[in-house]
Amino acid sequence: MRIGTLKQSYIADAALFDSHTQKTWLGVGTALLLLFPFMASDYWLYLACLVAINVASATGLNILTGYTGLVSLGQAAFMGLGAYTVAIMQTRLGTPFLLNLVAGGIVAMLGGLVVGIPSLRVKGLYLAIATIAASFITHFLFANLKLTGGTSGLSLPPAQLFGLALDTSFRLYWVIVPVTLLMVLGAANLFRTRIGRAFIAIRDRDISAEVLGIPLLRYKLLSFGLSSFYAGVAGGLWAYFFRVVTPESFPLLMSIFFLAAIIVGGMGTILGGILGAFFMTMVPELLKLVFDLLPGGTEMTVFLSPVRTVVFGLLIVGFLVFEPHGLAEVWRRIRRFFHLWPFRS
Amino acid sequence: MDWAYLFEIALNGVASGGLYALAALAFVLVYKATRVVNIAIGEMLMIGAYLFFAFAASFSLPIWLAVLGAVLGTGLLGAVVERTMIRPLLGEPPISVFMVTVGLASILVGLVEIVWTADQRRLPEFLPKTPVMIGDAFLAPKVAYGSLVALVLIVLVLLVFRFWRGGVALRATASDQAAAYSMGINVPRVFSLAWVASAMIAAVAGIIVGSIGGISSSMGVFGLSVLVVVIVGGLDSVLGALVGGVFIGLVEALAGSYLGGEYKLLATFVVLVGVLMIRPYGLFGTHEIERL
Amino acid sequence: MNAQTKSPLSVRRRSLVLAAGAALAAPLSVHAQAGEDIVIGGSIPMTGVFAFAGIGINAGIADYVKIVNDAGGIKGRKLRYVPEDTGYKVDASVAAFKKITSQNKVNLYYGDSTGFSKTINPELDRSGQILMAGASFATELNDPAKYPNQFLVGPDYTEMFGILLKHIAKEKPGAKVAFVYSDSEFGRDPIEASEAAAKKLGLSVAVKLMTPPGSVDVSTEVIKLRRANPDYTIFHGYVLAPIPEFVQQGKQMGMTSKWMGTFWTMDSSTVMKMGEAGDGFMGVMPYRYYYDTSAKSPMLDKIRQMRPEYQSTAYTQGFLTAMLFTEAAKRTLDAGKPLDGKNLKAALNTIKDFDTGGLIGVPITIKGNSIPVGRVYTADMKAQKMVPSSDWIKLD
Repeated sequence: MRIGTLKQSYIADAALFDSHTQKTWLGVGTALLLLFPFMASDYWLYLACLVAINVASATGLNILTGYTGLVSLGQAAFMGLGAYTVAIMQTRLGTPFLLNLVAGGIVAMLGGLVVGIPSLRVKGLYLAIATIAASFITHFLFANLKLTGGTSGLSLPPAQLFGLALDTSFRLYWVIVPVTLLMVLGAANLFRTRIGRAFIAIRDRDISAEVLGIPLLRYKLLSFGLSSFYAGVAGGLWAYFFRVVTPESFPLLMSIFFLAAIIVGGMGTILGGILGAFFMTMVPELLKLVFDLLPGGTEMTVFLSPVRTVVFGLLIVGFLVFEPHGLAEVWRRIRRFFHLWPFRS
Repeated sequence: MDWAYLFEIALNGVASGGLYALAALAFVLVYKATRVVNIAIGEMLMIGAYLFFAFAASFSLPIWLAVLGAVLGTGLLGAVVERTMIRPLLGEPPISVFMVTVGLASILVGLVEIVWTADQRRLPEFLPKTPVMIGDAFLAPKVAYGSLVALVLIVLVLLVFRFWRGGVALRATASDQAAAYSMGINVPRVFSLAWVASAMIAAVAGIIVGSIGGISSSMGVFGLSVLVVVIVGGLDSVLGALVGGVFIGLVEALAGSYLGGEYKLLATFVVLVGVLMIRPYGLFGTHEIERL
Repeated sequence: MNAQTKSPLSVRRRSLVLAAGAALAAPLSVHAQAGEDIVIGGSIPMTGVFAFAGIGINAGIADYVKIVNDAGGIKGRKLRYVPEDTGYKVDASVAAFKKITSQNKVNLYYGDSTGFSKTINPELDRSGQILMAGASFATELNDPAKYPNQFLVGPDYTEMFGILLKHIAKEKPGAKVAFVYSDSEFGRDPIEASEAAAKKLGLSVAVKLMTPPGSVDVSTEVIKLRRANPDYTIFHGYVLAPIPEFVQQGKQMGMTSKWMGTFWTMDSSTVMKMGEAGDGFMGVMPYRYYYDTSAKSPMLDKIRQMRPEYQSTAYTQGFLTAMLFTEAAKRTLDAGKPLDGKNLKAALNTIKDFDTGGLIGVPITIKGNSIPVGRVYTADMKAQKMVPSSDWIKLD
């Protein structure tokens, strides 16, 4: 039971992890992350890397949609920009892979800035529809430019780090997870600063924010840029992970997936991005497990894919109707229960 | 300049635009009354087409009965959706309701795949087969009759909005919910009515689109083109749906014929971006003024 | 193995432990030598847009595995088929691959799509343990240098076009041909090479039309097609839609073109769904149809015995893949070599004038990555069957 969190300095008050319990759990978590690859099979490592990439991208989308209130259905398109940049640089220039990732992020950021320009003219759902248009236009570019290999896409050799080829899930884990952690920490830190607070102000009421002196266009573009940088890096990691990039790899459905992930996880919280991405990536696997246990054999597996689609839709609708603040809110309630125990809320 | 060719292309483009207009009409009805962007409009189209398929092919009912069954069935779906998913979210930010319709789209696709599998199918033929000739230009009969139905329905809806009490109530609820309540309009009933009417029109559109291009569980992607149409025409304008639909149909036909098939979608979305920059509320939409 | 230990155990204790260990290990090692199953893994699209094919493929592979195991397996080793559903999505396919290969020792694998085959290729090269085939007939995969561990169970899409064009050049020399294809990797695959092939055969390509995926209304494309007035129109990159619409509108507008399709359109049940527009629809099929009794085909008889209801050409494809897998494995083991990618592929390439039991009408030779054989069939709507309209055409 927590009696009180008493701070003596402003810096301590603004800390991300303030209590001893939190710090211990953080230590445990880090230890688990370090031990996991040695204990898990190739399949679970594959899933872990996928979850990490999705967490990175979802956090980026959370910055834009959850914290700044600008609905975007173009996250997959920005990931595609990052992935293609990485693929082109790796295959044509052979530059080191960290440089490629950063370059992928920057190219995606530029794309995001371009898409963000209409955000001063239009808002809300019109902006969402403009981002859908952006996603179609990027798809067209990917499928029709010689540079991007047309409809057959590009395949890239594994990334090289200090002469070691990153070609198994085990090796990629050690790169993808730290990069994701860095990005998540960066995002968490962002919202302790002036820029983060400006984003939140824009979400709540952008006209008021402007009246208070926040230059709207600059901060909206910044938000787009930052979130698409995240998407670009996530896309670059995706490219190194799957090693094939095609125009069909980043469909509109993927953008919807990420939006669903942050809604289910909790918009406007960093934890929400993590929980949502984790949950939405693991639900199909859980379903597969459930189906494997059901009697009926191959008769039932025919229904796995449509049931997965239905469950995806039900999760979105269910969370929006019953728990609009997502899994993060559920988590907060559990925490509150343990903080106040043995007293009731 | 081959004028005959241009005329033929333009004619077919306008006619297929009529189909877009029909689907856009369903969309506009919902937005006008409840301010909800229903991205699942393509999927409701699909449900209408599949119900028609079930009644006409699996149960072998006569065509007119199958059409009626499909329309009523989809209307029922509209009512259920409104009650269970839209009503609880009254007052939430529009993004939430938008995402609910995204979820709805997934659910509908999944349900169709469970019952009918994801195979492509064709609907039983019931539209006349002789090609329509205007001068020397051929017009595909299905598309022609489809857009005729669209035109009739749109005119009907326009008249209903102007003259019938229910239509006026819908417009009233659209402009100011609170005022409508105080005037004694049963606002929840109006919401249900709007969704049911929209679903029924979507069913008709679905049957026509299905009889042209076949039905499959990915039919709903038609809804994305409809989105462009309503942005161009104005999210809450019935006339805009007609004009926007015809315009987009024309643009697609011209782009497809003179530039190549891969430019069709690109041209549509470039038009979309252009409209968003120049006239964000569409040709006929109402300008939303935001106050502090 | 050196049994020297540094523990302070007494000599008697030590030898007891060793003896117990040996007793336990002996049956295990014997088991490993004689009965180790040969695993065929599969990323199978049993749901999703390709489900009709996936269910057929799954049944085909399973049936052939049963036939082999009932006859005693391959040199006493049983075949084991481990499928996973992928919904025809590349990331689900890759996930299934990783799962199956981490839980079993896999030497043979069936992939569900071109995208998956390309994605997994570096992994196949790295591990070197697996020979892979699949549902894809993509031209790009027909490259033994780039895809040494993979092969196609039939002609690639360019070869399919080649067979059709050869037939056209024979029937009507100098004819005008139109290509109608979908805007996807599947659709675009053979177009460029086939245009060149057509020119070589003295045919002219009147027009090439690309339709956006999921397009509903094709009336403007039909107008363009009509203007080009081709003698033959070849559709590729589709399963069913929008072909019937094209054919129907084309006929309504007075076009006299003959209509043709490629493998994935040509399953009997798919063509029959076209209704009266499909009468006279032609296409290339490398296998005999389920109901074909035109020549002696013992395998087809066996299939008809095992499965009394119609089986699609996807079933035949799966069945044939399992047959070729089995043959490659048998030849590798006969040569005393271990089962790995290189040896299995080399064994596959020794297949010359091999009789598939009548599934393919002529004996086949697998020189590279594909089997460039096929026959042109035409749809007879009244009889609800596909009837052959040409001999078995071999490309070299």
